[in-house]
Amino acid sequence: MAFNYDKYLRLEKMPTLWCWGCGDGVILKSFIRAVDKLGISQDDMCVVSGIGCSGRFSSYVDFNTVHTTHGRTVAYATGIKLANPDKYVVCVAGDGDALAIGGNHTIHACRRNIDITFIIINNFIYGLTNSQTSPTTPQGMWTVTQKVGNIDPTFDACKLAIASGASFVGRETVNSPKKMEKLIVQALEHKGFSFVELNSNCHINLGRKNKMQSAMANLDWIDSITVSKKKYDAMTPEEQLNLLPTGILKQDKEVREYCDMYEDIKKVHQGQRAKITQDDFVKKI
Amino acid sequence: MSELREVISTGNELSAIAAVDAGCTFFGGYPLTPSSEIMHVCSDLLPKVGGASIQMEDEIAGICCVIGASMSGVRALTATSGPGVSLKAENLGLAQMAEVPMVLVNVMRGGPSTGLPTRVSQGDIKQASNPSHGDYRSITLCAGNLAECYTEVVRAFNLADRFMQPVIVLTDETLGHMHGKAMLPTQEEVAAGIVLRKKFEGAPEDYRPYECEATEPAVLNPMFEGYRYHFTGLHHDAMGFPTEEIETCRKLIQRLEDKVMAHQDEIELNEEFMMDDLNGEEGEVLIVAYGSVSLAAKEAIRHLRADGIKAGLFRPITIWPSPAKRIKEVTSVTKNVLCVELNIRQYTEEIERASGRLDLEGLYKVNGRAISPYEIVEKVKEVF
Amino acid sequence: MAAMVAPENTPVWVDTARCKACDICVDSCPAGVLSMQQEPTSTLGAMISVIAPDSCIGCNECELVCPDFAIYVAEKKEFKFAKLVDTSKARQEAIANNGYRIPTDYKEAN
Repeated sequence: MAFNYDKYLRLEKMPTLWCWGCGDGVILKSFIRAVDKLGISQDDMCVVSGIGCSGRFSSYVDFNTVHTTHGRTVAYATGIKLANPDKYVVCVAGDGDALAIGGNHTIHACRRNIDITFIIINNFIYGLTNSQTSPTTPQGMWTVTQKVGNIDPTFDACKLAIASGASFVGRETVNSPKKMEKLIVQALEHKGFSFVELNSNCHINLGRKNKMQSAMANLDWIDSITVSKKKYDAMTPEEQLNLLPTGILKQDKEVREYCDMYEDIKKVHQGQRAKITQDDFVKKI
Repeated sequence: MSELREVISTGNELSAIAAVDAGCTFFGGYPLTPSSEIMHVCSDLLPKVGGASIQMEDEIAGICCVIGASMSGVRALTATSGPGVSLKAENLGLAQMAEVPMVLVNVMRGGPSTGLPTRVSQGDIKQASNPSHGDYRSITLCAGNLAECYTEVVRAFNLADRFMQPVIVLTDETLGHMHGKAMLPTQEEVAAGIVLRKKFEGAPEDYRPYECEATEPAVLNPMFEGYRYHFTGLHHDAMGFPTEEIETCRKLIQRLEDKVMAHQDEIELNEEFMMDDLNGEEGEVLIVAYGSVSLAAKEAIRHLRADGIKAGLFRPITIWPSPAKRIKEVTSVTKNVLCVELNIRQYTEEIERASGRLDLEGLYKVNGRAISPYEIVEKVKEVF
Repeated sequence: MAAMVAPENTPVWVDTARCKACDICVDSCPAGVLSMQQEPTSTLGAMISVIAPDSCIGCNECELVCPDFAIYVAEKKEFKFAKLVDTSKARQEAIANNGYRIPTDYKEAN
């Protein structure tokens, strides 16, 4: 018996609409393996996705699923989670969805530290809408909105998440399906906001005009720009400039999760505890 | 007439209390004058009953978390003013398209743009009829006094669950901040009148959430109970999955329209104040007004009648869909019709459309101040 | 469900209805088990084929990297997998250098 993916798939939707060789399918597999490993019931899981190729993720999995407006994935998910704190809520969004139009919501979901697992499928481009520049598209690459070469600087999504207060931040790539699976398991188990960046290949849009037309060439490029956190930490800033560290980049198990803190608010209003004051928090500012 | 209880409060507070009494357990929003008090009150009342209230990072997140909560199966509320509705427009469209019930209270203020944050207007009437892009058949209610800041929110939740779409409740800065006495139905009566959204009780494999009669809404079961399906703003099939199939697309949009228009009788609500003796005689005057303006109109009518002018008020409480048929009837009886609004002819144009008349008089004010009974009396005497 | 059950005495099998001929599994195989072949009726004009099942070492790489749930590997207890030998490696190199297709005139080294 091979691993039973079909149990978790909406089989009538197969094959996926993703391009041949698109890493999104590998991420889908790793996610399914992770959910299965944790024994999560399909009825206890809600997957919320945004707009883009990654947005189609939610229609392929047999859970409670939502396909939202562009950039608002984690805002919808916050409502679902706060109204159902004991359920699993997972967001899947692309780099444009999560970091451009949805940047504000991403920042505040990290700040709130609400128990949602946010998977950002970063393929360094706007794929579905045909090759517009994303906040992670490298400078100098061809995009359809900057055909003479992209001048827009990039930022590091994981650094943004760490600065915004996410208590679990990690990154892996589709070159390492087993590591992706492990990271997703750890993210799902973590009680707090789990920010998981998974780098994927878009050889059809990013790669095609940037000398990476084949899936393998694009995957090799992803390999060349990522390195384990252990090796990264030992490097000089010059060496680090063009590399993204992979693995768990931050994990704080002490900081309180939002829904858990909200239970305290309920208790105050129901007369079961005293009002919340600054003394209840280590962080005073 | 059922027993009423006397409550002394403000319009905003009454709207919040109404939501909780109507079974709402989730509020999401963002501060926006003059609606913020609704959020303040919800932040105290909802956790008390085991619900949740959250101030999000912006207006858009405010409605998104509400739609998410409602998708999961709970009654959910957001409150804002004109600029907030503008920001929420895209996601109101998703709730409409995916048939997700929710209530949005718009405490209208001076617009457009930043406008007059602390002053009254009725400038969001047209916006409420189609706040989002594409075909959107709006259900919009308009509170005309303090008590209706409560009762219309209760009615909105029941209508939202009945028709499976957002329902907008318009109040305004005057009512929102007005502190006075309201005679309200009891909490028991409100609770007894709660009609929750329909649920499918059969086997999950037989469940087709978006497969319904041509004039009926979707039946969307709560999440996490064994009925797994898909929500999307794209055109979708019976299980909610995206599709571009020609007939499916046509039938969906038509059904979103017809599910409301075929059941207007369940939605329409008007007040006809002192109209019983209007029978088409010379000199009779019909005033058409809604919201807080109707309070001044009623007082004006008492003055006019004291001066020997037979005047009455037609007040739509459900603004959208408009009571077109009744408007035609009442404007066919009375020759002298005066439309009074705190905007430039936004609802007057609908009265013209419904009545077929282009000779309606109007009194319009857009400086952020209320219209007084005196101004209405003077206008009637001036034009008729 | 049928896709998951290993056919009799088979180390690796494919679901051609799902395969999009992306080449990634062929690239990932260390043992020259897989090859693309010409298939005019399929979208990219190619389709996956298991050409040397006896060379399969059961590493599972192809299954892990396939984005389309189109290839499956038997469990260790269901098949006696081979060891990775030089002839397999040579075949894989030839396939990878020939656009992920086994050269038509390929002769196995002995």
